Amino acid sequence: MSISSPLILADGVSKKFGANQVLTRVTLEVLERDVVCVVGPSGSGKTTLLRCLALLEEPSEGRVVMEGVPISTPSPSKQVKAAARDVRSEIGMVFQHFNLWPHMSVLQNLIEAPMRVKKMPRDQAVAIAEGLLNKVDLSDKRDAYPARLSGGQQQRVAIARALAMNPKVLLFDEATSALDPELRREVLAVMRQLAREGMTMLVVTHEMGFARHVGTRTVFMDRGEIVEAAPGSAFFDAPQTERARRFLQQFEDE
Amino acid sequence: MFKYQFRWDTVWGSFDFLMGGLQMTLIISAITLVLAMLGGLIIALLDMSRFRILRWIGISIGEVVRNTPILVQLLWVYYVLPIVFGVRIEALVALIIGLALYQASFISEVYRSGIQSVPKGHREAAQVLGLTPFQSFNRIVLPQAIRMTLPPLASNFVQLIKFSSLGAVISVSEITRRGMELSATNFRPLETFTFIAVVYFFICWPLAMAIRFWERRLQAR
Repeated sequence: MSISSPLILADGVSKKFGANQVLTRVTLEVLERDVVCVVGPSGSGKTTLLRCLALLEEPSEGRVVMEGVPISTPSPSKQVKAAARDVRSEIGMVFQHFNLWPHMSVLQNLIEAPMRVKKMPRDQAVAIAEGLLNKVDLSDKRDAYPARLSGGQQQRVAIARALAMNPKVLLFDEATSALDPELRREVLAVMRQLAREGMTMLVVTHEMGFARHVGTRTVFMDRGEIVEAAPGSAFFDAPQTERARRFLQQFEDE
Repeated sequence: MFKYQFRWDTVWGSFDFLMGGLQMTLIISAITLVLAMLGGLIIALLDMSRFRILRWIGISIGEVVRNTPILVQLLWVYYVLPIVFGVRIEALVALIIGLALYQASFISEVYRSGIQSVPKGHREAAQVLGLTPFQSFNRIVLPQAIRMTLPPLASNFVQLIKFSSLGAVISVSEITRRGMELSATNFRPLETFTFIAVVYFFICWPLAMAIRFWERRLQAR
């Protein structure tokens, strides 16, 4: 494949739930080391777009392409399905509600996928998990169960769990929306650190500060379409459309 | 006025006879629970099957069993099955089959709600990390679902202890039947059936309380 092909690409993706058109021909590419932030009012289709890229939803139209290879299409062929299986764990995802497995300890949450999916020996999986827990500053919670952790701690564990599979791209679905403001900061700090280390990220968020200062590109969605996309803080400094201006006005007090 | 000369000695004199019946009651309940758990699994799998005909069978069994009286089902198994299949069924076997079928139809719902109690997000997290649907069910859904189904299964055991008294009607020699036989010879139904009721109560009540406590602890997690 060519060096210029994007790491992951939504290529004219539409999604309908029944008669409800949630996404309309959205094209979005994420290059290596990009931190693309997707912002927009609720119900604008941001999460659905992310779920299509995470292969949790099948597009009604268009396709998802990873490094030049189609991995999701409407009624996918055997080839596409096989390609999806191959890259499945290279696309990590962090959910709004963490989705840690409550019957497993923090460590077990982290080593489950590397051991089952990558067939990694336990010692190696544990070593990786411990390194990641150290990174998200939760080494002391190694043997705790998720219910014993704060929301911020749970989300940091969820990020570590996603990183344990060494993904090429990490998708964040409003990862801080379910958290109290003081807990958001610790999660955002981890995300900022990942961005600094060159992790490729696609971040659906309401955190305008993060999008402005950490994002390499901001994409503004409304009613299932991409309305604007601009590099870095340009979107915030000079929004081009009335819709974007109106959207940004809500955050001016912050 | 209630002038009654209690003769509890008539009950104590047959204590071993009645306790033998209690043992029978508990054995029947335990065996039936195991069979009902298996039957419930089969019905639940039929209900969730990809094939419409199997789903239809599973749902039909559940609906028929849940919406006819358990006593009629027992009588049907005991008296009608032998006519249809031309085999004699022992009363004890008929009781266990009838009770197991009845409880299975409820237990299938217990399984279903146990599985549904696991949030979809847990499975999605597994899917995104690359676990196969089988691994996800086995490692993520099932362990959580089992934890949720244990208290209802224990409640089913309590129900079975009570329902097994219906075996008396088809002369299975469990504790209620033995009480009937005893009161027919000692002419002391008040003492006999009071004693039996107390025995049931002091087995079922502590179990029910323990289950309630257990459920509350699960909810708190």
